[in-house]
Amino acid sequence: MTLLLAVISCVVAGYFLVALGWPLRYRSVYEWLLGASLSVGFGIGVFSVIFFLALVAGLTHLLVLDLGLVALLAGCLWFWRTRLSSVHARAAAGMRSPLPQWLDRVVMACLGLALAAAFYAAILRSIVHPHGEGWDAFAIWNLHARFLFRGGAHWRDGFSSLIPWSHPDYPLLLPSAVAHFWTVLGHESTAVPAIIGLAFTFCTVGLLCGSLGVLRGRICALLGGLALLSTPLFVEQGASQYADVPLSFFFLAVIALIQLADGRGALFLSGLAAGFAVWTKNEGMLFLCALTAAHVIETIRRRTVQPKIYNTAQLMAFGIPVAVFVALVVWLKHSIAFPNEIFSDPQTMLQKALSPNRYWAIIQWFAKDFLRFGEWWPIPSTLLLPALYFLTAGERSKPASPAFRASVLTLFLTLAGYFAIYVITPYDLYWHLRFSLNRLFLQLWPSTIFLFFLALPHWRPEKVSK
Amino acid sequence: MNESPASGHSSARTIAGIVLFMVGSLLSSLRLTQTAPDPTHLQADEITEKAEHRFSALKSQLPSRGVVGYDGESGNAGTEDYYLAQYALAPLVVERSKNHRLVIVSVTTEPPKPDTSGLELVKNFGNGVALCSNKDAK
Repeated sequence: MTLLLAVISCVVAGYFLVALGWPLRYRSVYEWLLGASLSVGFGIGVFSVIFFLALVAGLTHLLVLDLGLVALLAGCLWFWRTRLSSVHARAAAGMRSPLPQWLDRVVMACLGLALAAAFYAAILRSIVHPHGEGWDAFAIWNLHARFLFRGGAHWRDGFSSLIPWSHPDYPLLLPSAVAHFWTVLGHESTAVPAIIGLAFTFCTVGLLCGSLGVLRGRICALLGGLALLSTPLFVEQGASQYADVPLSFFFLAVIALIQLADGRGALFLSGLAAGFAVWTKNEGMLFLCALTAAHVIETIRRRTVQPKIYNTAQLMAFGIPVAVFVALVVWLKHSIAFPNEIFSDPQTMLQKALSPNRYWAIIQWFAKDFLRFGEWWPIPSTLLLPALYFLTAGERSKPASPAFRASVLTLFLTLAGYFAIYVITPYDLYWHLRFSLNRLFLQLWPSTIFLFFLALPHWRPEKVSK
Repeated sequence: MNESPASGHSSARTIAGIVLFMVGSLLSSLRLTQTAPDPTHLQADEITEKAEHRFSALKSQLPSRGVVGYDGESGNAGTEDYYLAQYALAPLVVERSKNHRLVIVSVTTEPPKPDTSGLELVKNFGNGVALCSNKDAK
């Protein structure tokens, strides 16, 4: 009963947060999908933070804190609803499909099949691997959750250099969220990390379909969802209890919210998603730097035409939640954990940065993994999507918006950051590439699909649907 | 970059593109179901469950918190076994070193066995798990 109350509080807290930033009107199934997916993801994120702060402050009675948070957010929502201006949504797409009805139904059926296949595979994997599939699940994420839950006031013991491969410097969104529900439950249950993993997996699909549905209409939503659900690695990783799929959810949330609306509220939510990404994995910080750099570059580029993409109030709305999370992670890294091993030896880093062979090896791996990281068979979706683009007849999109260009640049800069990390990695390069590159690509994959379908030519219903 | 209005040819091309995309995607989904565990023979991952069971008896002999040593096999199998021990025994910190008053000795497979010189057996828990003491530890 208490667990059910905590789960409801988690989703309701997420819903109130989303409603605070962006009062969705829930007029279409896509808005429902978008709102529900964001609510679940943000709810888990905020529950993670609540648990961690309560642990640091030595507060018990977690359920009271949860209910207090929900009441506080409800109060804020009631207060702000009367003051917030309406959202400047960029949504424009009509809901009617431009395709012949038979094809529309076939696409819908394909999405249904892909969803069923993904659900089937994810559930079976979760049953067979109750502690997570793969090394990182038990040696990093669930181990940290155990230290947070079992350690009580001495939880810091677990974030020690004595356990070198457990990456004590990793942020704690996932372990904290798991420990939150274990605490409410009163004992550990392998179902909790499994359900959180599945929730992020299917909410990422929901977020992708919802945001594409709002912006580009039904057919792009269905095809976008199909592209993600038919990526075997995405489903496998989602069920593996690693943090890469949750991170991909927050990356997508940042980019989708920037595209969906330019009001302060939506940017506040986007900033919150960026903050949650920083709180999920170290790559979140890299993504945030890339996002900032991309927007600065785009602003400078447009200077002669239009001075700014965002005004000061909008920047504040984005920056405040980001600053809070950056401060939290910086505090965690400096006061608890030991430094990240990748940046521990500047001299070796410099030596490796000056070795051209390493660049060539990484380029080769990037090229190979571009075609195989999703574990597709037999045709990689990274080839299917360009084929779809070139075969699609219709009106090419108008010149891309600054927000779109900045989002594409963000993904490229993040990718460049991953490249640079491999150049200076202290580990054996081939070992590091072999065991992590596919997951790094996967982190950016939902956002890539989203931006791809935004760029896809607009079909012309009156000509195509005969 | 505007194209001319879609003709019958271009709409057929669009439909072909979508059909190709759907077929390719569904084949990958099919692969996902084929590589999924067999639903008629579902059995939970034994490695982690066994490790939980192996170290459960040891827990009562160990302090509730602090750091203990660990002596096990070398190589990849040994590393995995060490992390399974750490996972099972958290919030106790298990360091892969003999330089502690209490040292867990773990052997899961055939030789080479871990070097237990300098260690004195406190209790053998079976299943390849023993607790030793190291009086020379600093």
